[in-house]
Amino acid sequence: MNETLDQAFEALKTYDWGQETKLVEPIEAAIVASEGDAAQRREIEARLVAVLQGDAPYDAKQYACRRLRVIGTAASVPALAALLTDERLLHMGRFALERMPLAEAGDALRDALGKVNGKLKIGVISSLATRDEAASVAPLAALLTDPDAAVARSTTQALGTIGSPAAAQALTGGVSEGTKAAVAAALLVCAERALADGKRAEALLIYKGLAKDDQPKHVRLAAKRGMLACAGRKE
Amino acid sequence: MGNNPTRREFLKRAGTATAAIAAPYVITSTALGADDRAAPSERIVMGGIGIGNMGRGDQGAFLGRGDVQYVAVCDVNRGHREGAKNQVDGRYQNKDCAAYNDYRELLARDDIDAIHCATPDHWHAIIVVEACRSGKDVYCQKPETRTLREGKLMVDAARRYARVVSGGSQRVRADYNGVVNRCWDGELGEIKSINVNVGPLPTECNLPGEVVPDGFDWEMWLGPAPWQPYHPWRCSGSFNINGQSWRSFSDYSGGGMTDWGAHHFGGATFAVDVRELQPEEVTFHNENGKKWLSYRYPNGLLLTHNRPGKGNLDVEGTGEKRESKPQPQYKGQGGIYGDFIHCVKTREKPFRDIELAVNTAVVSHLGLIAYELERSLKWDAAKQEFAGDEEANRLVDRARREPWQL
Repeated sequence: MNETLDQAFEALKTYDWGQETKLVEPIEAAIVASEGDAAQRREIEARLVAVLQGDAPYDAKQYACRRLRVIGTAASVPALAALLTDERLLHMGRFALERMPLAEAGDALRDALGKVNGKLKIGVISSLATRDEAASVAPLAALLTDPDAAVARSTTQALGTIGSPAAAQALTGGVSEGTKAAVAAALLVCAERALADGKRAEALLIYKGLAKDDQPKHVRLAAKRGMLACAGRKE
Repeated sequence: MGNNPTRREFLKRAGTATAAIAAPYVITSTALGADDRAAPSERIVMGGIGIGNMGRGDQGAFLGRGDVQYVAVCDVNRGHREGAKNQVDGRYQNKDCAAYNDYRELLARDDIDAIHCATPDHWHAIIVVEACRSGKDVYCQKPETRTLREGKLMVDAARRYARVVSGGSQRVRADYNGVVNRCWDGELGEIKSINVNVGPLPTECNLPGEVVPDGFDWEMWLGPAPWQPYHPWRCSGSFNINGQSWRSFSDYSGGGMTDWGAHHFGGATFAVDVRELQPEEVTFHNENGKKWLSYRYPNGLLLTHNRPGKGNLDVEGTGEKRESKPQPQYKGQGGIYGDFIHCVKTREKPFRDIELAVNTAVVSHLGLIAYELERSLKWDAAKQEFAGDEEANRLVDRARREPWQL
């Protein structure tokens, strides 16, 4: 590691709002320059993880999470997972974990589901939805009837984002009126995905359920268009 | 209700008027459709979300139309919100316009047919998708997306609910006519390449915190973006991209690449007729510190960004005269706004249909990622991912701050 980079990491330890971004820019330059150099990348990663685990200001930890979003490996997952129960840092922990194509990242997020509530739980749900992992369907399905209506709605939307047959099955269980609109939206996505996967019968079943009079006009319209698509026709 | 009932109010009133009424039932001229206003049953009921600099312009365009009934505004800045409401009330000479801080309340209204959205870019996808789910048609300012993943989600929502969703950029159809005409008239032969000069790139924002002004909902303004303290430059709607506006900062915008890129890339891809395509490869060039990009399209076309020695929308063709092609035009009257309203009525796709708008935004976002990683990329448009490129795929989207999700 060179002196310029060392200085940047030293500055990062106390990096806070109002300081010049050029103080830490060498870190980004080093990341770019280390493309293809796994050893150097691991060294940079370790120093970013150390910032997360220390007592650096929130801004510094936010910066570290932004960089780990690009270069983070399984080695940084424990430090990022520790942020998932911190109200201030949960989002930035997710910022790094959500797009990591690592089983460890998904495991960390699923593990956090049972440790947080309210808005924080919604954040974790949102990230699991985006990651679209089969292992997330069961723990998410268990939240469909969460007493926190916002969590239930978020879960409904998340299962729609995943859109798998298992997600559709979970969504077609009994739901409260408060989440009915969210369920319809989620099931429409599931039906689309089923149709795209060649499962016309499953898709048609969902669409027929949504074409009934108890749904708003625009949902019925979407369902009927879906039914036409199942029949191989366009409106 | 005032003298300017909504379409639904008019129908309801007409349906309940009976011969038992003692006095003659007076039908106002606006109810019949005065010279400058369509009959209520023909008006599109609209609301606006995000009424800052650009939003005011959009509002003015829609509010001025006789076939629009503007009923609601939403902005997290009380000053903007009240000013926007006053504009509407002044137009209709009543106090009926509703004003919201939370866009969800506006979208929950069953009487609203369509909305226009001019929030900062980091909000666009969430609002557009939710609007579609709520059965609304949408006019969304450019750039329509902040990340690559958002584009497909917006297009899917529009198609799923059969919504008319138009992107912004009035410049695509207006500012580049010289180049557009030469290309579409066949003067240049087969088009081989076109260049776009646009910038700057966005930066991360580390401005100090200041006290949030009274009447400004900072939490809502931030929405899905990472939490940072309030500073007037962080959220200024100035059109300058100079570190003193949200357009400058990567949490909210793609800088000039997306902001003016929506216009220039939009104009370029229109001129060379690749609006329906996305690039499949981006090559990063670094010539003695001068960084620029070349995008290759599936049909072989080369689109370059900031290519040394090339001007904005410089186009190269094979030169032999070819048969001209009819150019896509706006439908209806009144430019891009009239095009949107026309399509809301006829259910046609607008000139800047969301899929075409997203394809333009993809050019910007691919470029941003190439510049961030300082290397070349291969893009699989069908799968909406970078082929075999785990690092680049991490940048396809970004986690949204709770409780916001897409």
